[in-house]
Amino acid sequence: MDRNQLIKWLKEPAKMGHKYSLHAVYFCTGCGIIEVPPSITARWDAERFGVTPAASPRQANLFLITGYVSLKTLKAIIRTYEQMPEPKYTVGFGSCPINGGMYWDSYNTIKHLDRYIPVDGWIAGCMPRPEAIFVAVTHLWTLIDKDMADGYRRYRRNYAAYRANQEMVLGELGWPPLFGGEGE
Amino acid sequence: MDRRLQGLEEAFDGLDIEPSRDGGKRLLVDRGSVLSLLSALVDRGFDHLHMVSCVDWPEQKELELVYILSAYNLGGSFEEEHRDVVMVGCRVPRNRPVAVSAIRLFECAEPYEREIHELFGVRFEGHPRLTPLFLDRHYETPPFRKDFDTRQYVEDFFGRVPPVGDGDGERT
Repeated sequence: MDRNQLIKWLKEPAKMGHKYSLHAVYFCTGCGIIEVPPSITARWDAERFGVTPAASPRQANLFLITGYVSLKTLKAIIRTYEQMPEPKYTVGFGSCPINGGMYWDSYNTIKHLDRYIPVDGWIAGCMPRPEAIFVAVTHLWTLIDKDMADGYRRYRRNYAAYRANQEMVLGELGWPPLFGGEGE
Repeated sequence: MDRRLQGLEEAFDGLDIEPSRDGGKRLLVDRGSVLSLLSALVDRGFDHLHMVSCVDWPEQKELELVYILSAYNLGGSFEEEHRDVVMVGCRVPRNRPVAVSAIRLFECAEPYEREIHELFGVRFEGHPRLTPLFLDRHYETPPFRKDFDTRQYVEDFFGRVPPVGDGDGERT
């Protein structure tokens, strides 16, 4: 263990635990998922960074959106995101979740993911290399350290606005609101 | 190939056979006789339906259904010159796009016809379930038609979703 971090460990053990054991949801959208198997297996070995895939969203705290998001996928993403326990971190992978990417004029692909769920970080590129995932993870560590990876708090705070946006494109969502009202 | 298609032109009135670019044959036929042509082709050995597709011709106000068939039994040869592929084209008017389903001849036509119904708005008579296949919502114009303005649609539909506050707005 890094001795310089000893103080942090003693002061905020839970945060350090979250930071160094990011469990990523097994959830694939679009083409970016092709970069994930080499990242989590022997070639790049994400476990060096404490990132390991989790079988269920209820056991995960990192959500990689790995490509374009169609309307049907968005529904599944929202359901998955809402099932994850807090604190949870979302990273948009590739250019499609950022602004639509090459699907910018597609009739069935959402353009800005951060209008529907909060996103803590973006990895730009089409495709980003697996190394970019690790750069993102180390950035995420810094953000968690500084309390800036606050997507789940923003989701609570602006839940009414997020829910309104989700219903604007998906129609009736079919499940009750996660939080009671704004400003919870 | 020519041996297999012999006598077809005489048997079908409006049938037009022309060579296609990839060395195969292109059979253009009226909407009414497409099913009988397909069954005649099955009898002549074209027993495999590769796919059903659709082409939009907005100038002629027509949609063209394209059936690609091949002969599965090549007589023991896999050489290029023995590969028999025919393309059956049939045009339906754009304002009343109705065609007869080919499921009775080729069961594998079912998902293709569902897809064409969803994306081009062609109704297939005799299809057991023309329910949505890919899309989750209803579109005024079927989205694969040429007059569906995707950019305008994106602007209207996705453009109205506002950014959510808390600094997310600067990334629009």
